[in-house]
Amino acid sequence: MRGLSAVSDIGKVRIRIPSSIRPGDVVHARTLVIHPMERVERDGQGKVVQRNYSYIHTATVTYLGKTIVTFETTQAVSENPFFSFSFRATDPGQLKVRFLDTTGGDYEGTADITFA
Amino acid sequence: MRDSSKLTRRTMLGTLGVLGVAALAGDVAAPRRAEAQPLGLQETGEEALRRVFGGRPMKDGSSVIKFDIPAIAENGSLVQTSVAVESPMTPVAYVKRVWIVADKNRIPVVFRATLVPEAGRASVGATIRLGETGDVRAIVEQSDGTLLAVKREVKVTVGGCGG
Repeated sequence: MRGLSAVSDIGKVRIRIPSSIRPGDVVHARTLVIHPMERVERDGQGKVVQRNYSYIHTATVTYLGKTIVTFETTQAVSENPFFSFSFRATDPGQLKVRFLDTTGGDYEGTADITFA
Repeated sequence: MRDSSKLTRRTMLGTLGVLGVAALAGDVAAPRRAEAQPLGLQETGEEALRRVFGGRPMKDGSSVIKFDIPAIAENGSLVQTSVAVESPMTPVAYVKRVWIVADKNRIPVVFRATLVPEAGRASVGATIRLGETGDVRAIVEQSDGTLLAVKREVKVTVGGCGG
């Protein structure tokens, strides 16, 4: 499964929101981050190889500057993971998703919430 | 008298020095996580539940939790899941946390989502990994501390790659 994403793509974030949002709607959104989410490796004897595996441990969603959802994640989350969440769209403004990984990687994506 | 107090002070300083070095080394070696205990450990599902929830009672949440996960996962490295809870999301009563725990995974705790009332609806999901066939649980903690849980058995086709 590794090698599907080029190294240079790591940390690319996409956010998908409905095309039309009305004030007060509870909006369901999805976000994707390109990340290997390295899984635990084992040696020939089945012993866990101890090293600092690179995986996302936190994904934070903020809307209008307020944290709405925080996902704390482990290596049991898939490679290039999708996350879905909801928020109540009260005002036009920024929706931001931030991902932190175990190697110090800090990746961000934003979407502008506007009302049709 | 003077000698002994001096000795104590020396010993003290030495100890502090060692502690300082240890703290520094820890800082460098540890991954960037603030919490004392990591969320994911190599353990059994039973151990994970005991460690995270410490034997707190869990009610059957099947009337309020909608847990979407395929019954058969052809590719265990990419399984879509979502958890939606029928619950008010007001400052006095809301869904505070949602966990997914896969009993048979080597690392059973998949994620923990923390929500606030402004989410409007308790609905979270992620693409997860399943190592083998087994129960997957969605566990919900409400703002009053009540735990609700549902589980689904997921058959994971061995061999991956859609086989």
